[in-house]
Amino acid sequence: MNTGLLRVLIDPGRFFEDRMQDEPGLKMPALIVLIYAIISAVAAALMVNVIIDILPAEAQAFAVFGIAIAVVGALIMGFLTWIVVAAVLHIISMLFKGEGAFTRTLEFTGYAFLPQAIGGIIGAAFSYRIISGLTIPVVTDPEQIIMVTEALAEMIAADPLTQIASLVGILFVLWSANILIFGMKHARNLSTRDAVLTVGIPVALYIAYILITLLGLIP
Amino acid sequence: MKPFNLIIIALICIAAGLVAPATAGTADVVVTSSTIDPPVLMKGDVGTLTVEIMNNGAEPVAIRNARLYGSGVVALSDAYPSVGDIGAGTTKTFTFTIRADGGEGTFYPPFVLDFQNGGALRYPVPVQVEDTPLTASIVGKPDAFTEGRRGDVTIRVGNPRPNTASGVQVIPQGTGFSATPSSAFIGALTADAAGTAVFNLTPEDETDVTFRVLWRNGINTHAIDVTLPVTFGEDKRQADLFVTNVEVTPEAGGYRIVGDVMNAGLESARSVLIRPGAPATPTDPFRVYVVGTLDPDDAAPFEVTFRAERDATTIPVVVEYRDDDGNRYTGTTTVDLSGTVTVSAGESDEGIPIAGIAIAVLIAIGIIGAIYYSWRRK
Repeated sequence: MNTGLLRVLIDPGRFFEDRMQDEPGLKMPALIVLIYAIISAVAAALMVNVIIDILPAEAQAFAVFGIAIAVVGALIMGFLTWIVVAAVLHIISMLFKGEGAFTRTLEFTGYAFLPQAIGGIIGAAFSYRIISGLTIPVVTDPEQIIMVTEALAEMIAADPLTQIASLVGILFVLWSANILIFGMKHARNLSTRDAVLTVGIPVALYIAYILITLLGLIP
Repeated sequence: MKPFNLIIIALICIAAGLVAPATAGTADVVVTSSTIDPPVLMKGDVGTLTVEIMNNGAEPVAIRNARLYGSGVVALSDAYPSVGDIGAGTTKTFTFTIRADGGEGTFYPPFVLDFQNGGALRYPVPVQVEDTPLTASIVGKPDAFTEGRRGDVTIRVGNPRPNTASGVQVIPQGTGFSATPSSAFIGALTADAAGTAVFNLTPEDETDVTFRVLWRNGINTHAIDVTLPVTFGEDKRQADLFVTNVEVTPEAGGYRIVGDVMNAGLESARSVLIRPGAPATPTDPFRVYVVGTLDPDDAAPFEVTFRAERDATTIPVVVEYRDDDGNRYTGTTTVDLSGTVTVSAGESDEGIPIAGIAIAVLIAIGIIGAIYYSWRRK
């Protein structure tokens, strides 16, 4: 079955096996990360827009400026995350005597962001649903702005949809991790066991952090 | 003596023997007593007059008839047209139904006996007529009536008449109220005596309550009314609740109001409840705060949680309580929200998000399927 890029989602083993026949190319992974970053930027813009809505009319003139910062920040964070994840996995794979260029690791890690892009769309939909159900007052006092922002954060955290969205996010992380296992296996010439450990350790730590946060064990 | 003279003498003796006892007996018949029931009549009353006569002579006396005459008091019953003899040393009673048709005072209708020999006995019987009725007064009532609140009303009935009034009872009449008991029986009231009746009155509207006092004078029923105007007012002793020391705290999804409720009245407030009123929407955990009983001069803390619209600047805090009779009272205190702000969730966000869970399950199935497929193809 050859369905192009989407093959990485359901048959990453064959996909990366085929990709190993070619020279490392970062255009497609960068495009995937860009899509993921844009979706993250849209979600961030949505949140900033809500916070700006709290401000009085005269202060809302800065809304565009605030949204722009959020969008640019989300785009930068998207690419930064890509590089950091690739670097972490590359370093861990060294413990298992992995062989291969960082460019290949970066390429295959980029493909693993495809489920994150899909998850980002669904997460943004959940965020919109949560935020659209809130009634946020207009405030003028800086103390009240802090008060409302804190209340807003509490409200969003307490919303059952937030918890569902977090669990859905974990599912997409697992999907990305699955792709990364195959990616690291080929990119760093690891055994399946070593690839699972290379990806599984940081992902398990990340998921544990999310679950602990979700259960309120970390304030 | 010649036989003719002897016959004449004999006839005279026979005639003398026949006439002499009758002539002597009419003076021996006397009226020994007369009684009236009731002893004192009111105007228009019907009573019974009983006259007893006695023959004190040694011979029986023949009576033709017995009658009662008079104005002011008239006999309703017929005369005794043919009485007959009254034996020596015996008594005979005559009863007449009479009615007081005149005014007040003492009347003397004559009782007349006609004897067979043409003589008659005439005896004026004193009959007293006095129109003074019983008196009724309200000797106890609540300081103020309140709609639906029970209050005790005490009626005192006095008898200024010279004779006993029987079957005295008091019946509240009118609309817009309920009374317990529905009537009170006092019974017989002797001259110058008094009796009381207590009613629990629960008014539903402002109205006049008429207490009708019924009694009997003999067989005659009489009534007097005493009216109690029921107008609603503030009970000076009732519980009076105040909300003080109010502190509004914004929190996720709404507000929390913490304060004290105090009873500044003279009676206990029971089943005290505190809740946020419209347009606020009560939310968990303190949709309503139950204080319970609050005695006079006591205070109790409370807290309520609620959600309010974005533009709400004030909300009412509703205090509900009951009195000892279970009547419900409601008071409202307005609390200012303008100094506080919060974020609240919409109405549709309450409960379990079924659609979100369904989407999550579908996504989970899809991802697990994709992962499973990827390992199967390995």
